Amino acid sequence: MKWNKFLTVVSACALSVSLIAGCGNGGSSGASGANEGGKDAAGSGGDGSKQVANGELNVAVFQGGYGREYWDQVIEAFMKDHPGTKINLTASPKIAELVRPKIVAGNPPDLLYIAGGDNIPLLDGLIKDKALLDLMDIFNENDGSGPLKDKILPGVLESRAMSPYGDGKIYLAPFNFGVLGLWYNKTLFDEKGFQPPKTWDELFAMNAAAKENGRALFTYQGIYPGYLEEVIVPAIYDLGGQKALDQFFNYDPEFWKSDVFKQVWGNILKFANEDNGLMKGTVALNHTQAQTAFMQGKAMFIPNGTWFEDEMKDAPRESGFQFGFLGIPSFSGGSVKAQSNIEQIVIPAKAKNPELASEFLKYIYSDESIKLNAEKSKAVMAVKDAADLAKPYISESTYNVYKAVDNGMELVNGTFQTVAKGSKYNPKDDVYKAISSLVNKQMTLEEYGQKMYDMYTEVSKELKQAQ
Amino acid sequence: MAVCLVPGLAMFMLFKLYPTIQVFYKSFYLWTGIGDKPKFIGFKNFVDMFRDDAFLLSLRNTGFLMVIVPVFTLLIALVNASILTRTKLKERGLYRTLFFFPSILSFVVIAILWSFIYHPTLGFLNSGLELTGLGQYAMPWLGDSRTVLWALAVTMIWQAAGYYMVIYMAGIDGISPDLYEAASIDGATPMKQFIHITIPMLWEIIRITIIFSINGVLSISFVIVTIMTAGGPDRHSEVVMTYLYQQAFTNSNFGYAMAIGVFVFAFSVLLSLISNKLTERGSY
Repeated sequence: MKWNKFLTVVSACALSVSLIAGCGNGGSSGASGANEGGKDAAGSGGDGSKQVANGELNVAVFQGGYGREYWDQVIEAFMKDHPGTKINLTASPKIAELVRPKIVAGNPPDLLYIAGGDNIPLLDGLIKDKALLDLMDIFNENDGSGPLKDKILPGVLESRAMSPYGDGKIYLAPFNFGVLGLWYNKTLFDEKGFQPPKTWDELFAMNAAAKENGRALFTYQGIYPGYLEEVIVPAIYDLGGQKALDQFFNYDPEFWKSDVFKQVWGNILKFANEDNGLMKGTVALNHTQAQTAFMQGKAMFIPNGTWFEDEMKDAPRESGFQFGFLGIPSFSGGSVKAQSNIEQIVIPAKAKNPELASEFLKYIYSDESIKLNAEKSKAVMAVKDAADLAKPYISESTYNVYKAVDNGMELVNGTFQTVAKGSKYNPKDDVYKAISSLVNKQMTLEEYGQKMYDMYTEVSKELKQAQ
Repeated sequence: MAVCLVPGLAMFMLFKLYPTIQVFYKSFYLWTGIGDKPKFIGFKNFVDMFRDDAFLLSLRNTGFLMVIVPVFTLLIALVNASILTRTKLKERGLYRTLFFFPSILSFVVIAILWSFIYHPTLGFLNSGLELTGLGQYAMPWLGDSRTVLWALAVTMIWQAAGYYMVIYMAGIDGISPDLYEAASIDGATPMKQFIHITIPMLWEIIRITIIFSINGVLSISFVIVTIMTAGGPDRHSEVVMTYLYQQAFTNSNFGYAMAIGVFVFAFSVLLSLISNKLTERGSY
């Protein structure tokens, strides 16, 4: 008995000692890592600024639906073209969680590609902290065939997404781009001879046809009303132009008294109020449930982005189902619009090797890299003619979406201005989440407008105080 | 031998005590939680909390769940435990396993399971109502602000009742059978036995489970709400934990989130003390 007890105690002690030893090891390896970093920085400094193609680079990327193969290969190619460099890649679907501690410790990776809903807030935080490197030089640099910025899709670099402080300086570099809007079942439209509606009136007039075909007119990803942005933003632009969109994104409270607000949100309300307008139970569905219902023919239109087909590739669907992209109809018969969404790459201001990071960023925009990205990720970068470069690798319906953009579908993009540091408001949430109450008829359009008016007043007051 | 305590103590300090102190400390700062230098702002975070409608709503929702869920969970657990032990059912072991089953399922699985049970068109609940001719009562349970909290509460009760039932069963097994025998000779009905023997004899266990259950709501509600409703519709199922997470990680408002954390900590300690005080033997 006693012997037994002794053994237990000894093994318990051994276990705890080994645990402590484990901790010790972790600590010391962390310290040596920091030393290496220091040595590197010193080394590249000593070599002089000309010799940028030297040293080590830590790159952290989001590994989502596009995978990581592109990154592995582009890094390999870059290291081959720049002998003496070494790039360490960290890729994860939860990349923000992985790099956050490093950023907090003042030791951020040199280049970050952050995408995916769970990760984006990290970028917002870096913007709030003004912790990003100014990328103007990279985009102004002329390699003989014109400055790099001429290669990017027009309007993208000037947008708030890339130039967040409104001072004309670029802090975020555009990467893959997606197009967002309403989708329909192309087979159904072809068989019945329906024309995709070009105006909101035409769209609402299709309600009868929808009912005949046993489906509601519209559904959306109910518990995530943020998807309605894809309908709302292009509609604001269509009706009120850039001016109204700026009011909306820059917290001008008067937006909520305007006619634009009443008409755009009125449309959403119309779906909810009209018989057969909104699919039954929509507000309680998550994105997968709503999208599956749409593909099974329970609703005629749903908002989503170019990733739709890939996202739902295993989902059940009605026979013959084919993805068709409508975009967002116009109010007055103008061009059909669609929201664009562009992923971002950043270099933290505290990066150890910003010269090499800039070099690598330029490399990402090379033609070989764009093609490689199309081939490996099946994604389209926000550069001119990217869709055609990617054509052999992406599905036909996805290609058609990008082609529609070339053929006159107007792209609208915009991002909410970053709120003041310490603000409790998250306008993106506050604006879209309250739509559930609107759709549930627990709030009138006036009450909703008033609530938003008050929120915008507060947010803009906070922003003024912060300046 | 006391040396053997050192590693455990060291780890407790490093991974529990130190972070907790940091939470308190950071709650007085304006900090994005990323790269900036925290700026001391005193009690401003705490003052702001009570002017923040979204926070107050989430607090109210949490309060609702903290009352409804423990009351029903423990009541159901107690009654079931009593029935299973006192009636000497043959299938006792089977029922115990069945009722306990939800406790070993992951919260994520439970949340997904129940979001399909509540699915407005395909869901078991609404289809069941339609099948039995009660179709007019079918509704989008998770999409309506009047029903969403009740729907979540049912999920949480279902999840926890079996766990507490097993605890109570063990407790009831420890009560001397002589008491029940004497009572039944004196003509006490099973109901009377339940009230006058089972509950008083289990009282100390019940007190502890009340506190466990109240605090359990805090942690379970985070997963359940995140998956089943994302706080919707329009924040009507937002709970303090999901709101804290949003402020910390999507709104980069770390100091404010920590202040919410401190408040929740104080709130649950207070609640536990009150519950402890109210259930003291003397007041029974």
